[in-house]
Amino acid sequence: MRRRICTALLALGLLALAGCQKAPEPVEFTTFAMDTVMNFTLYGEKKQAVDTVKPLLAGGVSALEKILSATEEGSDIARLNRRGTGGVGAETAEVLAKALELCEATGGALDITAYPAVKAWGFTQEEHRVPSPAELEALAEKIDYAAVKLEGGAVSLPEGVEMDLGAVAKGWAGDLLAEAVRANGISSALLDLGQSTITAVGAKPDGSPWRVGVVDPARPGACFAVVELEDMAMGTSGGYQRYFEQDGEIYWHILDPDTAAPARSGLASVTVASPSAFLCDGLSTALFVMGLEDGAQFWRDHPELDFEVVFVTEDGEIYRTAGLEGRFSLAEGYEDREVVVLE
Amino acid sequence: MKVKVITALLLAAAAASAAALLLQRGGAPSPTARITRDGVLLEEIALDQVGQPYTLTLEEEGGSNTVQVEKGRIRVSEADCPDQICVNQGWISGGAVPIVCLPHRLMIEIVGGGGGLDGAAG
Repeated sequence: MRRRICTALLALGLLALAGCQKAPEPVEFTTFAMDTVMNFTLYGEKKQAVDTVKPLLAGGVSALEKILSATEEGSDIARLNRRGTGGVGAETAEVLAKALELCEATGGALDITAYPAVKAWGFTQEEHRVPSPAELEALAEKIDYAAVKLEGGAVSLPEGVEMDLGAVAKGWAGDLLAEAVRANGISSALLDLGQSTITAVGAKPDGSPWRVGVVDPARPGACFAVVELEDMAMGTSGGYQRYFEQDGEIYWHILDPDTAAPARSGLASVTVASPSAFLCDGLSTALFVMGLEDGAQFWRDHPELDFEVVFVTEDGEIYRTAGLEGRFSLAEGYEDREVVVLE
Repeated sequence: MKVKVITALLLAAAAASAAALLLQRGGAPSPTARITRDGVLLEEIALDQVGQPYTLTLEEEGGSNTVQVEKGRIRVSEADCPDQICVNQGWISGGAVPIVCLPHRLMIEIVGGGGGLDGAAG
């Protein structure tokens, strides 16, 4: 009898536990940094862990911005751009090394030395203008990541070459923040670094993957697809994200390193999913510049980089790579759209 | 006797758990637009309760944004920011893509209303 009561009480206890166990409340907060607004969602069993991580995230992003941003006067990058040579901190050196590696891997479709061109188009100060063909030709000649010399912490740039880590800094930050989140024992978080990069730590508290939308370049207020992420990051580059119009022509912020002009490869957006946010960020830009055919070939040629892609053409056609099987679906209202699977 | 009491207790607990679960899930909340500046809440608008469309102008030292509100949707119709990203984004009615005016540190997001997305890239 006693044993039965014990069992019953145990069952009762378990039931009560199950009944009262509320879905844990997320801690959500927003910070403005790196020219964007970032939203962080953290689920922590321990309040203390969340309290520790919160200032780390906001502080980490602003610290990175202070050393990496080309527009931040005191940053390592701005200083190098002004002086052409000098020493940088360990973090900057590491980002630079990784970024230069990716520039090389993409055959220069990603190039971190396009800063003079970005400035000439007015994308840094939002005072837009269309440079003349002669000016563009001169600018394109100065875009060459291979001219950046990095030895240990010493960097030198040839005359007229300036760097901008805008295509990879948010991704770098995403990986760093995810690491900080995990190191503090938080196993479920979604770090939205704004506009281009989002990092999922673990799955949702109920064990299901994070469901992240992909923005429709033709209607940037809506998502055309959903990608399920678990310990994965995703990054998008799209012409619609930043552009200006002049004389009926649209000029966007993603520049082709070969021409110093907006990259018109026939794509409207490229979304990359990978365990590395850094790779998502940098590759989405590079594949946008390459275009659908070369971009798809790059994906086939580099299985070691471990990434998947969703391409949207300017005509609204949707292509995705085979590795997204089971993780990619069309969003509500887009169910009838055709998706071409790249093998 | 004891067994009966325990069974009753068990049943009661089960019912309570079920009720708690149901309450937690609740009905789908209606979509609400939250307008914040620097994370501080300025306006909260229940979008499905909007009758006549209206506009509101949000000003701060740096500039102003004119927000247009209709039943079920919201947009920035005019702004004096240099990039016009907020205006170009057009109407939003749900989903996970907020309207952001970075120069004015203004954000309009829609909470509730389901959609089933945790975030968005792009």
